[in-house]
Parts: sequence; structure tokens; C-alpha cells
Amino acid sequence: MSAERSIEVGDELPPVTAESNLVTSVLYAGASGDMNPLHYDPDFAAQVSPTGGVIAHGMYSMGLASRMLTAFAGGPERVLEVDVRFTRPWPLGTTSTFTGTVTAIEDGVASVSLVGTNESGERILRGTARVRL
Amino acid sequence: MALNREKVGTTYPAYTYEVSREKIREYATALGETDPRYFSDGDDCVAPPTFAACFTITKGNAAAFADPELGAHHGVVHGSQRYTFGDRALRPGDVLTCTPRITDISARGANEFLAIEVTCEDADGHHLVTALSTIVLLGSAAPAAEDAAGGPDEEVAS
Repeated sequence: MSAERSIEVGDELPPVTAESNLVTSVLYAGASGDMNPLHYDPDFAAQVSPTGGVIAHGMYSMGLASRMLTAFAGGPERVLEVDVRFTRPWPLGTTSTFTGTVTAIEDGVASVSLVGTNESGERILRGTARVRL
Repeated sequence: MALNREKVGTTYPAYTYEVSREKIREYATALGETDPRYFSDGDDCVAPPTFAACFTITKGNAAAFADPELGAHHGVVHGSQRYTFGDRALRPGDVLTCTPRITDISARGANEFLAIEVTCEDADGHHLVTALSTIVLLGSAAPAAEDAAGGPDEEVAS
């Protein structure tokens, strides 16, 4: 992020919205190496899924929240920490939106709150991050 | 079967992971990233922050899940994740030494929570990223094992 740009507490990050579906889930499984069939196999998901159906990787949602964060911060090298909790499953075939708000600025480091919200307005992810300005 | 809590503090043997340009591209594509540096053929190529998932989630947990003394099963979901980074992004050619350690085991309701930290350094011993994963083992808790109260936002997810 350029030094000329002034960041203030309360600023909202440009949000990221994405759908999860079988293609995004298989792409993420292959890219990350997390082949848990919960994320693409309906029969397996029926046995163990909290929803009874196939759900997105938690890391896919964290990755999207981090995409928002790096776009705001100006690159991955500015991200010092990302810490999230996966609070609800994200069923395939649904859309979620990731938002962030600057909560504090100290010594050139901004603290950001992160929220992922599903189509019903429920939170699927919440967390915090610290980025170097 | 419940996890063996005596395994808290156990460090498993380190493994190595070599960061490659093509894997960074593949990962960035899966997230719909557009930063040209993730797709660069040049020296400016870097990895997105959560690229670390490629070598800290499944690989980081593998030793613990293979440890018969721990007693983990594979009906799992991911409860929470933290990444703490060093002073630069990962880049192609980095050869990381990654050391997993069990930092906590707890139970809530029918589920158990296994916390695994993976510390990753480059070939010069320079810290690049530390991952802290909480993996939820569905239905593995002993009936009376509940030892942590969760609020409505603390429930099991993905």
C-alpha cells in the first residue's frame, strides 16, 4: 500500500464475494493437497458432514479472506498474521462474502477484523489479521 | 475413541517442502487471485499468504494422524487456523524445514479439538511461517470429557 494513501481506523476493505461449487472445491483440494472427501464426495459427506452434505474447505474461505487482505495491504509480504475461526460450514452451491474493517493502527501496523458471511447473513468465518502499512 | 492427552507437547520429525512456481500458480488460480506476481516467471514471484496450507495442513498433521499412540481418526473438520509470517513472502526455490508439534487437546460435547503447530524455516534457519491448526475430530470425545464451553459462534464448521 502506498505511503500516500491514508488508512484510518474504521476503514472497510474492498470485499470479496465467491461461490463454492464442485469445481472450486476440487481445484482447491488439488492445489492445497487437502483431499478430505468431505469437500467433494456426497456419499462420504453424508456420513460425517455437519450439514449432511458436501462443504467447502475452511482454508478456501480463509484463502479468499486473505485475497481481500493482500489486495488491501499491497502484497503478501505485508501480511504479518491471519487468524480465523471457521464458525459455520459453507455448503457447495452457495455464495459467501468476505469483509474486513481496520480496527487499530499502531507503529505502522493495521489490525483488521475479518468476517465471512453466507447468503442468509450468517457468519461462516471470523477472525483478525495484522498488516504492515 | 478419545485422543491420548499425554501426547500434548509431542514434536514429530521435521519434513521438508520445496516451494515451486507452478504450485504457486495453481494455488493462486484456485483462489481466483489476480496479483501478477503470483503468476510471474521472474524474480518477483511470491506466494499468497495461505499458500502455506499446501505444506502445513495435511502434511503437518500427517505424523500426528499416523501416530498410533495419539488415536486420531479421519472424520475431521477444520476448526480454526492461524498463520504468523516472517518478514518476507514465500517464493519459488524456498526449501522449508517444517516441524510439527501437538500443542493442545481438548473436548467439547461429542467432539475433540487437536491443536497442531508447524514451524517453518528456510535453509538458513530464517523463520518464514508458523501455522497453528485446530482440527475437530467429530464424535471422538469420551462421554464425560467436556472441558470447554463454547458460545454460539464457536461451533464446528469446515
